[in-house]
Amino acid sequence: MGTTTYTGLSGEVVPCPPRAGTLYDVMELILDRGMVIDVFIRVSLVGIEILKIDARIVVASVDTYLRFAEACNRLDLERDSGSVTVPELFSGQAAKSIGKSKVKDAARSVGESVRSAVGAGGDSDEESEEESQPQRRRRSAARTGAASRRRRKEED
Amino acid sequence: MTVTDEGIYVYGIVRAGHPLPPALGGVGDPPGTVGRVEEGRLAAVISQAPPRLRARRRDLLAHQELLLALAEDGPVLPMRFGMVAPDESVIRRQLSEAEDRQLAALEGVAGRVEINVKALPADEALPALVKGDATIRGLREAARRRPSYEANVRLGEAVATALARRASEAGRDIVRELSSSAHAVCAGPQVTGCQVNVSFLVDRGDGAGFVAEAERLARQRQDHVVLRVAGPLPCYSFLEPLPSATPLGA
Repeated sequence: MGTTTYTGLSGEVVPCPPRAGTLYDVMELILDRGMVIDVFIRVSLVGIEILKIDARIVVASVDTYLRFAEACNRLDLERDSGSVTVPELFSGQAAKSIGKSKVKDAARSVGESVRSAVGAGGDSDEESEEESQPQRRRRSAARTGAASRRRRKEED
Repeated sequence: MTVTDEGIYVYGIVRAGHPLPPALGGVGDPPGTVGRVEEGRLAAVISQAPPRLRARRRDLLAHQELLLALAEDGPVLPMRFGMVAPDESVIRRQLSEAEDRQLAALEGVAGRVEINVKALPADEALPALVKGDATIRGLREAARRRPSYEANVRLGEAVATALARRASEAGRDIVRELSSSAHAVCAGPQVTGCQVNVSFLVDRGDGAGFVAEAERLARQRQDHVVLRVAGPLPCYSFLEPLPSATPLGA
């Protein structure tokens, strides 16, 4: 059976629940690669968008630019800031008004595109079937992982 | 197998006699019963297509896991998700018409797996980037001296561009290094936010070592790139007979 590992931000190797991890990281292969036979019919994939695979991705938008500028301006280059992470940078006072809500919005919109990519949110029976799946919790945990790390850092 | 209006869902193509994994259902709710349509030296692995089939999470997983389980017992040509044949006779005709080519393609993936590598920007390497990039340091000084919306957008855009460029360069370096230990390399579809998306065809027994090597190379470049490695996978990206295999019709 497939196993998936992630090399995390700081280079640590994080074993992931293989099923959930593999699905998100390889959905574009399942949907866009693989054999096609002309005389077969393909089910409609209307509404499927290739998902953004992670909430940390850099999206070229003014919001993201401002987020980076904010983080950049708060860097203390005199100090050895090699160990300062972006979540720490975003956790300060100034970031509370802008940065955090932006990050949360980004995380939510990624979550939404994941949901539409996996076909949820359409009929109500899918909704209930999603609820009954343990993977759903894993997915939510993965989605909010960065945010909760940030929260933990603030509480420290 | 009874033919329904919905047609027959096809998971993949295997050699005739390839065993079916016990206790694995197909797409649909309840999961479809998995069967085989054999023709000549090939077989299609199938189940009845469920009504209103869509790319649901559960169905994508059923497709993927059945293919992975099948691959334990020999080569599989995975179908793209969602391929449905109108009836069994169409499958039989297809298997018999394309037999030589599909046998060659099966030969090409025998004993091999696909491993996918994606390179993403290392957002958290921002301090390293600012320290090392004179242009960005200059923009940052400008934005601090005379703070303005425009100055911040210019700074942020330069940062985003630089992070993407660093991920792209490091990702390509890693792909180059990994390529020597792969039988074949195939660029994957573009994925938003991914600077590099590449699949490798490697021997099944070398899969774990390949993943470990990818992770080692990523650690060396952790100020430049976040690498996501997935596999072993069904060989979605390597379905054409490889160049080293006998060419079509030869």
